[in-house]
Amino acid sequence: MTNISNRTAIAGYGATEFSKNSGRSELRLAVEATLGALADAGIDPSEVDGMSTFTMDNNSEQEIHRAIGGKDLTFFTRIPQGGGGALGPLQQAAMAITTGIANVVVVYRAMNERSEYRFGQPMHSLPPTSDNVIFAYHGFSGLMTPAAMIALMMRRYMQDTGATSLDFANYAVLARKYASTNPNAFFYQKPITIEDHQGSRMIADPLRLYDCCQESDGGVALVIVSAERARDLRQKPVYIRAAAQGSPGGTVSLGGFYKDNIWPYDECAAAARQLYAQSGLSPQDLDAAILYDHFGPTVFPGLEAYGFCAKGEAKDFVKDGHLEIGGRLPINMHGGQLGEAYIHGMNGVAEAVRQLRGQAVNQVPDARNMLVTAGSGLPTTAAILGVD
Amino acid sequence: MSSAATKGHNAPCSNRDFDFFYRGLEANRLLVQRCADCGTLRSLPSPGCGACGSLDWNECELAGDGMVHSYVIHHHPPLPGFATPLPIALVDMSEGVRILGAMDETDPATITAGLRVKVEFVRRGDIAAFRFRGA
Repeated sequence: MTNISNRTAIAGYGATEFSKNSGRSELRLAVEATLGALADAGIDPSEVDGMSTFTMDNNSEQEIHRAIGGKDLTFFTRIPQGGGGALGPLQQAAMAITTGIANVVVVYRAMNERSEYRFGQPMHSLPPTSDNVIFAYHGFSGLMTPAAMIALMMRRYMQDTGATSLDFANYAVLARKYASTNPNAFFYQKPITIEDHQGSRMIADPLRLYDCCQESDGGVALVIVSAERARDLRQKPVYIRAAAQGSPGGTVSLGGFYKDNIWPYDECAAAARQLYAQSGLSPQDLDAAILYDHFGPTVFPGLEAYGFCAKGEAKDFVKDGHLEIGGRLPINMHGGQLGEAYIHGMNGVAEAVRQLRGQAVNQVPDARNMLVTAGSGLPTTAAILGVD
Repeated sequence: MSSAATKGHNAPCSNRDFDFFYRGLEANRLLVQRCADCGTLRSLPSPGCGACGSLDWNECELAGDGMVHSYVIHHHPPLPGFATPLPIALVDMSEGVRILGAMDETDPATITAGLRVKVEFVRRGDIAAFRFRGA
């Protein structure tokens, strides 16, 4: 098998501000982020020949390409599963560039998710596609929102491991602490306490308001080129050391309730196995991570599935301070999606790029290899990024 | 012709893989699929058997009793057709399959993993439905 490890690199990234109301079109956000990423890399927009995103983005590949003055788009691809697919475009880019299908691939996410839509609402009656009939079968009993679907999985996790809402509070407080020193975060200068978390209203018990990410307007884009090309560009190359998708048998999108273990875990473990095999790295080699926190408590089984602690022991790992800078595995130093913004994982990839270049506001000293994950509780994706 | 006349039920989003389940509720029967070749039961409907790949299956009526495997209490946002807070339980049925069901009309504070429950058939508007109650 051709190994994609270290054959490609993120050469640039761009982002708009994150807000509750961007005041401009989603396509404009996508174009701004894309032009920002290309300028960061020092690549002319006319060179872009590949575009990739993941579903629930409303901007078509060719429309962004048209707006930036693209010449010849030869590779366009879109990964399913919404936020579960967040790292899929990186894998697509790495495969396309390694095989010579494309040379300069833009990966993007841009939405007016807060001002033009509302996420997290009950899913309405829809055309009977293979996924929708499952959402409807569960919605028939009142299980209609992503928060409730994840809550059902996490309640069992709590039952099996002894983790409590107080344990989940430890992560929420940490995410908001990191966000409080990040000027780009919604919750800049707004840290919370354990008591604030415990006092926040129930959304889908056991998930409280402060366990949930915030609907956001904003865009992020990345530019990926070959490792060789990246070394000649203006930024330190952030190599794609591994990128994987995971969906073991029995996985259902936000409805995997019929497997032995209903935690948001198996799909992450499946991605982890591939990442470590591709990269030759192990969890001990990773200096920091961006763990997807659509709902903060999913970070706990995530830490276990990606191999940072034993199954069921994340509550102690977190309590012991290992997620802090200086700890064993600092995570989500931008404030995560609980604290910075919810750009479906792409703002986390941007944070990993900043950390690895040494440009982050909450910098992990000498971070060289980082894990970045996508939404769990559904088919998922993940990557390991690194610098020399 | 109405949806009910063609499909035998009024559930809003179904297809030919799922229609049998909603038709069963019209007759106060909680149905799952049993593979006609290997006998494996499956609750979440699918055209194929996950154990052997067979496309042939028969309806199997569950006795309706089980134990709560996990549960959620939905508080926000408001739900169409249900009062909140709404408990929803994932139940290990005595036949060995799991079924998700609402537990409206049950005090959320009384629900725990391991609670014994039984099915109760109800109508929600013009739709035949079911919920779980403490056994």
